[in-house]
Formats: sequence, structure tokens, C-alpha cells
Amino acid sequence: MKKKFLCTILCISMAASMLVGCGAKSDSTDSGSGTAEEGTAADQEASQDTGAETPADSEADSGNSYEQYAGTTIHVAAIETAYGSEMWQEVAEAFTAETGVEVELTTDKNLEDVIGPSMQGGEYPDFIHLATGREAGLTEQFIKGNMISEVTDVLSMTIPGETVVVSDKIAKGFTDTSLTNPYGDGKTYLAPMFYSPCGLFYNAGLLKEKGWEVPTTWDEMWELGDKAKEEDIYLFTYPTAGYFDTFLYALMYSAGGPEFFDKATHYEEGIWETPEATACFDIIAKLATYTNPITPAQANDQDFTQNQQLVLDNKAIFMPNGTWIVGEMAEAPRADGFEWGMMALPAVKSGEDCYSYTWFEQSWIPAGAENQDAAKLFMSFLYSDTACEIFAKSGAIQPIVDIADKLEGDNVMFYSIYDNGVKPAMGNFAAFNAIPGVEVRTVFLEPVNSLVSGGITEDDWIKDVISASDQMRENLK
Amino acid sequence: MKNSKRRSGFLAVCIAPAVILFFIFMILPTLNVFRMSLYEKGAYSPTETFVGLKNFQVLLNDSNFIRSMQNMILLIVTVTIITFAFALIFAGILTREKIKGQNFFRIVFYIPNILSIVVIAGIFSAIYKPENGMLNSIIGLFRDMTDPILWKSESLVMVSLIIAMVWQAIGYYMVMYMASMSSVPESLYESSNLDGAGRLSQFFQITIPLIWTNIRTTLTFFIISTINMTFLFVKAMTSGGPNGASEVALSYMYGQKDAGLYGYSMAIGVIIFLFSFALSAMVNKVTDREPLEF
Repeated sequence: MKKKFLCTILCISMAASMLVGCGAKSDSTDSGSGTAEEGTAADQEASQDTGAETPADSEADSGNSYEQYAGTTIHVAAIETAYGSEMWQEVAEAFTAETGVEVELTTDKNLEDVIGPSMQGGEYPDFIHLATGREAGLTEQFIKGNMISEVTDVLSMTIPGETVVVSDKIAKGFTDTSLTNPYGDGKTYLAPMFYSPCGLFYNAGLLKEKGWEVPTTWDEMWELGDKAKEEDIYLFTYPTAGYFDTFLYALMYSAGGPEFFDKATHYEEGIWETPEATACFDIIAKLATYTNPITPAQANDQDFTQNQQLVLDNKAIFMPNGTWIVGEMAEAPRADGFEWGMMALPAVKSGEDCYSYTWFEQSWIPAGAENQDAAKLFMSFLYSDTACEIFAKSGAIQPIVDIADKLEGDNVMFYSIYDNGVKPAMGNFAAFNAIPGVEVRTVFLEPVNSLVSGGITEDDWIKDVISASDQMRENLK
Repeated sequence: MKNSKRRSGFLAVCIAPAVILFFIFMILPTLNVFRMSLYEKGAYSPTETFVGLKNFQVLLNDSNFIRSMQNMILLIVTVTIITFAFALIFAGILTREKIKGQNFFRIVFYIPNILSIVVIAGIFSAIYKPENGMLNSIIGLFRDMTDPILWKSESLVMVSLIIAMVWQAIGYYMVMYMASMSSVPESLYESSNLDGAGRLSQFFQITIPLIWTNIRTTLTFFIISTINMTFLFVKAMTSGGPNGASEVALSYMYGQKDAGLYGYSMAIGVIIFLFSFALSAMVNKVTDREPLEF
């Protein structure tokens, strides 16, 4: 009898523990769908409201009334980069203070792994700050799948707390590149965020000490490379092959101007056999021979800072990078008299234009997001003076007019690069439907590692680029 | 009669939680892998199109995939053989011989196994560093190091991975072999001693045959865990580079998912699944012996 009783108790506890396990889950989904329902209800109300009040909309905005968003909570997901994550917390708080819309913030260095699984399950954040060009390529997948909401109307929204509209605030040129209008139809899907001029970073102190001039053409570059070699300093290194994207874009601009860049990034037939393209390949292949030979062995996510360290230790002169490098290597030991310098890519021939790629991050609203309107409001707020100041404090520079006044330290020099006749290069390779085994990174960038170590020749590389480019053209979106 | 019915009812209730959880979290996803391999779909897009066996056809012509499979097989074979040999030898020494600090060695060998792979990647990053790295500094005592050995370069990266993986795995298998070796009765060794058997022949004639069942089990473990470990090590140590030289099948599968080819990466998953199953079955068959008892 006693035994039976014990059995029953055991059974019940086991069944109960299982139910508890499930219970907790259904509980959380309950509350989740609960808020979601609230969200949709509020959202519908909001959209009805905006619908009814469209004529009075601007009036309501200028009157700073955001009643239609009352009780709404938006879920913001932002990548944590070298700028840190505190600035997002502060901006979210400022946004709530301004509009009353609550913000639930998720930041992580590997944001894809945090929000990816729930998005596969159909639960999307309302607002995502995540740039293209990352290895996980989440943003690219959303672009390829047409799963991003159009935000052209955000450009004409009044910034919360201010009287100007967003498009007046964003600096010229930032909203008409393929990075913001991926389908080339004039409609904006991704908002331009923190920008950074990219170029070749070097130790200005070293060049001064040795009396070497900063090269302005590639010929001068090779001369400097030979001179440096005599002193056991290599001309070039790179953190990972992925950093060649901005390098390649700027190089294509300086070799053939915007027209060539446009054709090349749309994989036009025969484009890689033109003299301009040959010039690009030749320069990269020659540069590979001037590269510090230990670079490829450290060009991975684990060791790339050791490659950056080569520049700090005067073992290599130039590396392609962005302005975040200063913060990233702030704690690293360095040679005496080290001083950051940055230059645009040298001109292909003397007298031709120099280009520096303008790299910027993007933020966007998934088409599946619940609170689209509130998310758009948040997006517009990111261009307010309040938000820009918060971002700038952490070194993240928004692409807005007159941002130069808010710059400090090394950034003043970096961001003034375009003031001296250097032209900005913008854009990227056009989106194409995914092809097995063929990616921009593996075709155009990764082979540089093999060029440096001698695993492949320039001709092999060009051949691969042409055949991959043919496939990309066939799968253009 | 009534009693046995109630008994089986009780048993059913007892195993139900485990079975249900196993079904939901193991069987269903596995079936889903097979289903998805016949579709074309982005990881986040809700639409999917049925493409039949097209994914598998493309796979056979994808040179990157073939290279990643070759790398994986190379790792499975070499890591298994080297780890197996070292683990057996160390286990034999630590159980049969009387040496000072046995427990110390046991712990030292086992420590890598409890470290996270990310920590191991960090350790080996310091070991393999071209300039002032531990390995190059030691080798530098014997030869000129103006041209440092590039351990993570295209030609040596697989060797570097093998060293790290063997280092990590030895302790685990050593402990397993030690457990079964210590249950071999001492009397067998004593009597063989009287017959004049040396230590080596004792090892091969007594120890190995008597722990054979254990060895068979660990061989299956080797295959499964090495496949999994290749992914972790490659991700943490080399990110598949330089230029894809250290890409293994699982990391390639992961990369293809990121490229927006969910169905294609599931097809790779199916191949790996079938491959590991077939290899385990084969190893099991080849190592089949009449079990010896003591």
C-alpha cells in the first residue's frame, strides 16, 4: 500500500514537473501574445488615428503630441560595435522622454544570433540597427527576400522635438545609394546611420620621423614600399580580407569613376576585362607582394587585431580601416611617437581623382514588425540633435548636415578628409538571388589572402571573378 | 492480469515525458532537416519552393563543398587515430605503471576537456602567433626565425587544427580507457607475468582485448564528436580561412545558411547526417568481435 502511494506521488510529481515545464513556456507565450495583442490594438488605433488625422498630422507633430502612440512599446534591436551599447540606452530614454513611447532594447555583439531564431519563428523586432556586409549577412537576406518595410515617408516626417523634416537633416547623397535603396527604384528601405570615412590608416609619426612623403599616386606608393623594405618595414597589411570591401570600392571609383563603379557592381558583361578593371586587379596583386607576409595567417576573427598591431609596431605602414580603429586599439601598446594618420586611396594616375569610401551603417524596419508607425517615429528621432549628440559622444557620427561642429579629437582630422579634394565613394555590389557557393566576400575579397601567400595567381583570381560575376548577373534582383 | 495492465500503464506514464520531449526536440527537427533539403528557402523568408533533389545535384558540383568535406574527413581520420593512440598509451601507463603524481597527470590531461572551445582558441592563438608566439619561440631556439612559421597559413592551418583538437580530446578518452582498464583483474597480469609475458605483450594480449567493447563505443564517439568539434574549432580559431582553406562541412553549411540558402544548407546537413551514420555503422561492423569476459 505504502509502495503504491509512493508510486502515485512520483507519477504525479513527474507529470507535474512536465506540465510546469510546458506551463512556463505557454505562460511566456501568453504574455507575449498578450502584449502583441495590445500592441496590435494600439497599433490599429494608432493607424486609424493617423488615418483620420492625416491633414492635421503635421500640426499634431509640431505640437509634440504623440497620443496615438500612448502605451505602445517598440522593440529595438541594435548591434553593439566598437561604439558600445550605452549610447543606445541613452537614446532610447531620450526618445521615451520626448514621445512617451516605451522602448524595449536589445543590444549584442552577435545580434544575428540573438534575434535570428525568434525571427525565424515569425517574431520580429520593430526596429533593427544592423549594417550590411557582416559575415552573417542577415540584412542582405532581408533585402533579398523583400522583407524590409519601405521608409521613404520617414524622410518627410518631422523630427520629434524639432521643426525640421528628416530629409533636410540628412547630408546630401546618403539616401540615394544602393545601400539605402537596394532595388534601384528610388524608394528608400534602409536609413543611413553612423558613417565613417574609410581609407588607409598609418602611423603619421613614422613617416615624419623617416622623412617620407605621404604617397598620392600608386607609383609613389610602390617607391615608398621599396624604401621601407630596406628598413625592414612592409608597406601594407590588412586586418582581415573582409576589409578589402571598402578598399576595392574606392579603388574601382578611382580607376574608372562612378560610371565604371556602377557597371562593375552590376556585374556588366565583360566589365572585368576592361582596362579599368585590369588596373584594379594589377594594383591589388602588386600590393599583395608588398604586404607583410604574416598577415594572412592572422586574418581571421580571432587574430585580426594582431594585424592591426603591426601598424602600431611599425612593422607595416598602411592598412585599410575605418575611424573606429582609434577606439578599437586605444589600449594597445604602440611605437614611440605614434600618431594616427589617414589618407584616401592614392590616385591610379597622377592628376586623377582620389577617393575615400564612405562606409555607413544602416537601420531598418522589418516588414513583419508590429509597430511600424512607432518604429518610423523612432527612426526619425535618430536624426534629432539630441540623439546625434548622444551618438557623437561615443564616437558614432550620424550623417547629418553640420555634424563637423560636434567632432572632437582624431575625428576632426578623419572627417575632414573630403575637404581637401578627395571625393567620397559610396555604394556596394548589387543584391542578387543567393547562389550556392558564390558570395561577394568569397569571390572578391577572400582570395586576397591567397594572393599574399602565393596560393593563387592574379590570373586565377580574375578567372574566378569573371565566372562568378556571370552567375551573379543572371541572378540579379 | 489486471496488475500487469496497471503496471504497463504506470511504465507508460513514467517514460512519456522523455519520449515526448525526445520526439519534439530530436525526431521532429531531424525529419524537418530532410524535408527542408528538398526546398529552396531563405532562412528568414516565409516562402519556400519545392525543388526536389536539385540541391543535392548542385552540391556534387560545388568545389567549395567538396573541399570542406575533404577537410572534415581528414580531421576525423587523423584526429581519431592520433587521439586514440595517445589516449590508449597514456591510460595504459597511468593504470598499469606506478609513477609519481598519477593523479596530477590525470587532472592535467583532463583539463583541456573542461575548457570552453573559445578559451582553447584563445590559448592556441597565443601558441601559434607568428611573432613571439610560444611555438615559434621554442622552435626559434633551434633554427633561424627571420621567416617565422605561419601556423594558420593556408598550407599549415589544417595541421594546426589537428594539434589543437588532439590536445583537447586526449583527456576525455584517456579517462574512459582508464576506467575500463582498471577493472581488468590483476590476477591476469600476474599469471601472464609467470608465463613470461612482457609489458608490451600484456598490453596487446590482455588489456586491449578485454577493453574491446569500450574501444568500439569510443570509436563511435570519436566520429560524432569530431564532426561537431570541427565546427567549433574552425569557427573559433580560423573562421574558415585563409580563403576557405580550413572550411569544414558543418561550417560551410552554416555559412550557406547565412548566404540565404537555407534549403541548400539543409541538404549539406543531410549529407553529413548520412555520412556520420554510415561511417559509424561501418566502424561498428569492422570492429565486431566476440566479446571477451573476465
